[in-house]
Amino acid sequence: MATTIASINLTSTDLLSDSLSVSAVSTLTGAGNSTGLTLTGGLGRKRLATGHAQYTLFDGDAYANGAHKIYLKNTSSTASEHFTIEINSEQMGKLYAGDWAFFPWEANADTNDIKIDPSADDMVLEYMIFIDE
Amino acid sequence: MATTATLTLASADIAGDPVSVSKTATLTKAGTINDLDQSIGLNRVHLRSTTNKVLLSANAEGNNLAAKVYIINKAVDTSLYLTVTINAQTIGKLYGGDFLFIPWSQTDTDANIEVAATNWTSSTGDIPVEYALFHEDTDFLTNA
Repeated sequence: MATTIASINLTSTDLLSDSLSVSAVSTLTGAGNSTGLTLTGGLGRKRLATGHAQYTLFDGDAYANGAHKIYLKNTSSTASEHFTIEINSEQMGKLYAGDWAFFPWEANADTNDIKIDPSADDMVLEYMIFIDE
Repeated sequence: MATTATLTLASADIAGDPVSVSKTATLTKAGTINDLDQSIGLNRVHLRSTTNKVLLSANAEGNNLAAKVYIINKAVDTSLYLTVTINAQTIGKLYGGDFLFIPWSQTDTDANIEVAATNWTSSTGDIPVEYALFHEDTDFLTNA
């Protein structure tokens, strides 16, 4: 069993009339248990060079139904460049330059692919999966 | 009006070498460097519905605008989970203590973010859920 910790801090001193500070810490475990996730795909980067067409980043068919965790980051520094993120053809959101996302992924169907669609050529997405066997 | 979101992923033993990832994003409006200037604040509900309930209602005018969603399952019991869906498509399950932070495309009014305490029973107790939305809006402006 491994121990992997994910933590998040959301802060602002001027969005509201009082300071905002939200923090949470989560230990990544298997579905419905307290056993730490033991597998990862490692930290990777994907450059989509030309055509900027939709690309399957994680294939639902390749993973068991489980409590996987996904990290994505758009490494671009050009504000208008974004990746559109889809799960099973449903658009989740657009990851603009510098944005990151972290979310659970069930892979509960072969069609539950996570696909990315860059808005321009040569954009680079950083990604990582923590796998629930 | 800078709002920042920092994620840290750390493990000493999931791989042969330690994993240490730390990223900070400044939340900005779509395609610009202008800060997101609106939030619904941090909300808390206690969920006991085994069927989908709308947590965040999509605004079609929000399509192509930036929105960031934070949701955490505050249950202590790691077996109690929250199924999160967008337009009926399951994103994943948040088990007790798990959180997500995602961009949200409000592609149309069906693109609601819904949650269900899928394995809730009267004996499990309610699932406390906290959530926040940071967004931009074309109708409710913070400055003219």
